[in-house]
Amino acid sequence: MIKFTIISIIFILFIIPTLLASQIKMIPAHDQPGYGDMGRVPIYSIHEFKQYFISKDRNLVAIGTTIKNPNLKNEKEIKFNLFDGNNNLMRSVTQNGFNIGDGDFVKFIFEVIPDSVGKEYYFTLSSSSAEEEEILELFLTRPTDWILRYSYNEEIKEGGTPMVTFHKPNSRLETVKLVYSNLFSKLLHLNSDNK
Amino acid sequence: MRFKLIILAIFLRLLVALFLFHPDIKTIAFQTSFLKQGVVNIYSYLSENKQHLPLKEEFVYFPLTYFVIGGYQAVISSVLGDAFNNWLYDAGTVSTPNNPNIFIYLIFLKLPLLLMDLFIAFLLPQFFRKEADRKKVFNLWLFNPFTIILIYAFSNIDLYVVLLTIIALLYIKKEKIIKAVFFIGFAASFKLYPLLFVPFFFLKAKNVKEKILTVMIPTLIFVLTIIPFFSTSFINSALISGLSTRIFNPSFMIGFGESIMIGLFLLSSLFFYGLVINKKTTIFNYVIIVLFILFSFSHYHISWLLWIAPLLVVLAIKKPSCKWIIFIWALFSILIPLFYQDRSMTYSLYRIYTSWFDLLPIPFTIVEKFYDPYAIQSMIHSLLAGLSTIIGYKLLIKK
Repeated sequence: MIKFTIISIIFILFIIPTLLASQIKMIPAHDQPGYGDMGRVPIYSIHEFKQYFISKDRNLVAIGTTIKNPNLKNEKEIKFNLFDGNNNLMRSVTQNGFNIGDGDFVKFIFEVIPDSVGKEYYFTLSSSSAEEEEILELFLTRPTDWILRYSYNEEIKEGGTPMVTFHKPNSRLETVKLVYSNLFSKLLHLNSDNK
Repeated sequence: MRFKLIILAIFLRLLVALFLFHPDIKTIAFQTSFLKQGVVNIYSYLSENKQHLPLKEEFVYFPLTYFVIGGYQAVISSVLGDAFNNWLYDAGTVSTPNNPNIFIYLIFLKLPLLLMDLFIAFLLPQFFRKEADRKKVFNLWLFNPFTIILIYAFSNIDLYVVLLTIIALLYIKKEKIIKAVFFIGFAASFKLYPLLFVPFFFLKAKNVKEKILTVMIPTLIFVLTIIPFFSTSFINSALISGLSTRIFNPSFMIGFGESIMIGLFLLSSLFFYGLVINKKTTIFNYVIIVLFILFSFSHYHISWLLWIAPLLVVLAIKKPSCKWIIFIWALFSILIPLFYQDRSMTYSLYRIYTSWFDLLPIPFTIVEKFYDPYAIQSMIHSLLAGLSTIIGYKLLIKK
């Protein structure tokens, strides 16, 4: 039973996390910023949201943000378009409001953009067939080093939606290494900056 | 040799305590932290100040839990300093496990569990006379992955109750029923379920006076510990939450709005069986059967499995012919909560490693793609109930 216990504990603490890490298909470049107190903007009809941002890593593969679907009324198409700095349409994704809960973190997943590191992009989010009572809402937050500015109703302001960029890892092994280096660096920095 | 085993056992426990993090331990630590600020009635305090607090959950435990955990925390806070309090107030799901001091905090928060766990290891051999059996039960408690994971990944309050219940059962073994019910009373003041054992203590009491005392003492202790806090907020958050209602949930209708509550029906059958038919069954066996009924007919939290764990360890040594069926019972009972639609039962435990695991589908979601996960849960739970019936039968029908 002693051997079984030791093997089980090693399996739970080290093998399972390794298996889980190897299954991660995309890695967030940063944590989602707080929603802040900058209010929300509705998306419907011609009211489109445009967000400028910088991709902090290569292999950009998805963008996620929190979307409100009040009373789950929006069951219309939601169009996500991603453009590069020269206004070239890079990727396009369509989702349906039917699949979006109120306050869900929604990821728009697209084909990987390999050379995305350090480049500025913008995306638009629209639900043109939605009426006023079928709005979707985006939270607003202050600018960060990746969230630059947003445009809404032809007005440009600093900050934007609390978005997260996701990047495809180079290999499973790299992801596993990142997970364990994160764990052990935390362990080695015991009692460091917080005390 | 024994010393080396204990060191190895502590090492394994510390590894799990360090690396696995269930958010409940921090929620309870946050709620009980108000004791050192002078808050006595946590129930009304939380309901009145919910708006301003970073964590909005109600305190679902009984007052004794608040004072014991809060008292311990007042002591460790003086060692851990303000950074610990800041961490308790941090409601961020990512920032909380990413705090570089989290390992120290978890060790301090889980230290009482380690002490109680080791104490139980030294208590369990007292259920046996033979030296060989005493060694076996000591080793089996220290070296089985089930209890290590249950205690150091999921448990908070449960081990206090378990320890007090074991002490009570040891007093029963020494035929000191009055001392035993004192411990049952204090155990019930942490969590309600030991009160379910009281009718069976009543059965074993020798005379009328003892019978009255076996009911009066635990009930009085329980009532005295809760009465100063009795209020609407206490009733709503602690008294009618969790087990006290869940065990009465499964039922079948008999018409005109009436139903038979399966858990209560089986508990009463067991009591009257002991009263009328078989007067030889031991309290130890009754307690296990009561817990079998509870786990067979309620949607339980994984940490509740600790209630029965030490008893099954003892039973596995007492009845070697049952050890495989007990092992399967343990496997099934742990498997069921892993299929709950609750991330903190599985991947969220690894949040100290990374929050990226949040991107992965939980077992419930994976199963959902092929089959109804609730049906799978129900099947395993039914198998568990079947196993419980067989073990319970073996305990009741002694040849």
